[in-house]
Amino acid sequence: MKARLREAFWLLVSAFVAIGIWQTLISLTGLPKYVLPPPGAVWHELVAGLTADPSSRASIWYQLSDTLVATLWGFLLGGVGGVSLAAVMAEFRFVQKVLFPYVVGFQSLPKVAIAPLYVIWFGYEMEPKVAMSATLAFFPVLLNAMQGFVAIERDRMELFASLDASRWQRFVMIKLPSAAPLIFAGLNLGIVYALLGAIVAEFIGAQRGVGVLITQLQSVSDTAGVFAILVVLAVAGYVLITVMRLLQKHFVFWQASDTPPDAS
Amino acid sequence: MSEAGPLLLDARGLRKQYDTREGARITALEEVSVSLADGEFVSVVGPSGCGKSTMMKLIAGIVKPSAGEIIYRGQVVTRAQRGMGVVFQSPVLLPWLTVLENVLVPIRVLRMDRAPASARARELLELVGLTGFESKYPSELSGGMQQRVGIVRSLIHDPGLLLMDEPFGALDALTRERMSLALQRIWLANRKTVFFITHSILEAVFLSDRVIVMSARPGRILQEFTIPFPRPRDFDLTSTAEFGDFAREIRHLLGASVDV
Repeated sequence: MKARLREAFWLLVSAFVAIGIWQTLISLTGLPKYVLPPPGAVWHELVAGLTADPSSRASIWYQLSDTLVATLWGFLLGGVGGVSLAAVMAEFRFVQKVLFPYVVGFQSLPKVAIAPLYVIWFGYEMEPKVAMSATLAFFPVLLNAMQGFVAIERDRMELFASLDASRWQRFVMIKLPSAAPLIFAGLNLGIVYALLGAIVAEFIGAQRGVGVLITQLQSVSDTAGVFAILVVLAVAGYVLITVMRLLQKHFVFWQASDTPPDAS
Repeated sequence: MSEAGPLLLDARGLRKQYDTREGARITALEEVSVSLADGEFVSVVGPSGCGKSTMMKLIAGIVKPSAGEIIYRGQVVTRAQRGMGVVFQSPVLLPWLTVLENVLVPIRVLRMDRAPASARARELLELVGLTGFESKYPSELSGGMQQRVGIVRSLIHDPGLLLMDEPFGALDALTRERMSLALQRIWLANRKTVFFITHSILEAVFLSDRVIVMSARPGRILQEFTIPFPRPRDFDLTSTAEFGDFAREIRHLLGASVDV
């Protein structure tokens, strides 16, 4: 507990120092507000955005909620899709042989370049955002899960072979839980990519969302407003990652101990 | 000496060859025949790489032989047998399950009745001194305790034949002795047929009705010894001259074959 308090203390101190340097830099160099806004202006924008009527377009909550809904749907679709495809590819070598080159090809493509296409296909509402979010979340989940399904202790498989377990039993009782730590590693990346995907889609063209707000503020050179949203996004990302970590701790509670005691 | 029951398992002319990645063919096991009577405790000793583990996997039906056949209870073994229990060199416990759940894994896989199995699990856990550990996770147990859980799991579905592949290999000497005594206790209580693979001559002679000595690769049977000591045996037996004679003879046989 003491160590935690000390950590929090130094975190606060470093934040004050950083803000101090920021302010001093502006005073010394006289940088214009639209290049680097003073911390006070960012704070002002932040408070204004957070306290505005939640049903108005000026409200950060109004915009953020739409972005987060797209993020969560995209994460869900990309995550379930990634784990499922990884499982099918691990179970059926043939499917893996056929599909893997496409996976590699897609993976090498800068996927944000697809965003304009999604806008053409799906319009300016929620759908292209979810699609972009799912696309970005899908790959880290797929690749990590595949690794998880492949790297399963031979002894565990032999134990189940000795019991003449069915393919389904082997999958549910051994492969899925054995792969869970790596699946979660993929999901932890996936949630961050899902948020990124939603915002990218909003940059390209959307009615609502944090990405839309950023482009609007940018067009009127409201740099302090952009900074305020970046702060909000950092916090949102942190919250998403923390929730994932807690889920991981709950579902893969054995992770730290999953090494055979006689691995020597 | 225990009474030899009817024939439980008969393996004839087993051979196993592997192809390495370089294209070379390795013979792990050559012309091995072994038969087990019901209720018999048989050990296999041999140097590393003599194909002991391969032999166990062949009998378990996990690996297919290149030649020869295995007949278990009058049937040719072509796949894993539900009537066998296997104990591996490492405990192979699933870290996300408690001790009791781990023990009941075969019951789940074989879709057997859970309630009587739970009662039986508790009895067996008591027999190996693990009462009170039912709801612990494997990571909370020592290596010796984990291996005992592995042994209990192999017995839970009441298999007719217990296959053990160097089950105490990863344990320290003191724990090994205790485990040998625990295994003898389990064996006397259940009278399963046990096929026990080890590289410890002492363990083999101490536990067995019969000891099969194997040569280095390709694995062949060099000689069989019948161990006559009455049971229950205790570790004082190991310092008697008769016990020493068996151990010495086996050691010489192995020494002539290869460095162990």
